[in-house]
Amino acid sequence: MTKYFTFLSLLIVVLFLGQPTVLAADAETESESPIDIMGTVADHDYFTFFGTKLYLPRLFLWQDDNGSTQFSTYGSTKKALASGEFQQVDYIITPVNGSMLIDFSLTSHLLYFWFGLGALALFTMYAGSRYKKGIGASTAPQGALQNLFEIFYEFIRDEVAKPNIEGDKYKKYVPYLFTMFMSIAFMNSFGLLPWAATATADITVTAVLALFTFFVTQFSGTKDHWQHVFWFPGVPLGVKFLMIPVELIGLLTKPFALAIRLFANMMSGKIMIIAILGLIFIFNDMYGSAAAYSVSILSVAMTSILYVLKLFVALLQAYIFTLLSAVFIGMAAEEHEHDHEHDDHIHAEPSV
Amino acid sequence: MGLLAAGIGAGIVAVGAGIGIGMIGKAATESIARQPEAAGDIRGAMILTAAFIEGVALFGAIICIILALG
Repeated sequence: MTKYFTFLSLLIVVLFLGQPTVLAADAETESESPIDIMGTVADHDYFTFFGTKLYLPRLFLWQDDNGSTQFSTYGSTKKALASGEFQQVDYIITPVNGSMLIDFSLTSHLLYFWFGLGALALFTMYAGSRYKKGIGASTAPQGALQNLFEIFYEFIRDEVAKPNIEGDKYKKYVPYLFTMFMSIAFMNSFGLLPWAATATADITVTAVLALFTFFVTQFSGTKDHWQHVFWFPGVPLGVKFLMIPVELIGLLTKPFALAIRLFANMMSGKIMIIAILGLIFIFNDMYGSAAAYSVSILSVAMTSILYVLKLFVALLQAYIFTLLSAVFIGMAAEEHEHDHEHDDHIHAEPSV
Repeated sequence: MGLLAAGIGAGIVAVGAGIGIGMIGKAATESIARQPEAAGDIRGAMILTAAFIEGVALFGAIICIILALG
């Protein structure tokens, strides 16, 4: 079972890598508006580090007109365009002669996705090495990082997994839930850095995370779970047929809502901050610098408050994602008492 | 016209979600006041239910974004 999960998760990661990405406009094309709101949340082909742009390599798997498949790598988008083999139409790169099969290019969101997972790996490996040495296993945990690890781990185990997944089954899902929580929390918190991109403000990233939960939920589903989907117990025959599409849609809306919730929350925070800061520049354009100075006092104060709120939301959304994952897994893995009338047992499963 | 629909729609979505989450908050604070020892359980249920309402509201918000951009 574990091997199955590993294979599946690797497959999804590969699929995620294969998504063609829409890249935002480069700064060369100066827009009329003094601030670029969508540019701050869109995916880019460069990685900003302390105000310096590092362009990321582009990798293309494409098919030329003769039908042969080719794989090309370029240092940056500009080099790909300069080679003459590729052209740019509405920020999407396509080959001049042929068609794009898969655009494997690295983007800023993908990079921050990896940073989130890397931070999680370092954090857990550090804690793991401490426990191996016996610190924390036979004695009390020492050091700020290890204590932090224990706080988060015990929180996920005791507050998220145990109450929502019945019996001893919860033990199997604690590592998954902990991984989800910490990686989302890291990705959300990286987004708070002024020059960084928020990976979770991208629908493709959150959709992949929600797909993980979807597959884990379906593969841990018991006979009762599937019986509730395809042959709803305790209702008349006609209603049973009526319930099949409803339940099937219910299966799909759960991960969809998970993805949309995280995406919309993280994106709205970023848009709100850039919009309020952008007021300064808009006032400067419309009413002159004096108005801009007076607005900046209000803008900066509001942005500071919003940042504190965003820090809270970053952890809260990671918690909600994990909690809902645990609830969905718990509902699927639940085993009902057999050989009884289901009449008193028609429970309403929340569908979103 | 699409922009108008998106704006009005987003407003209605916010009203609905606001009423829903407000009622959860009211019920949760009332029950915590009645039974302070169950505050932890009630808070968990409150966040979970609020997340479900938020999900429905965000569906609406996404439709409004699609209307505004499309």
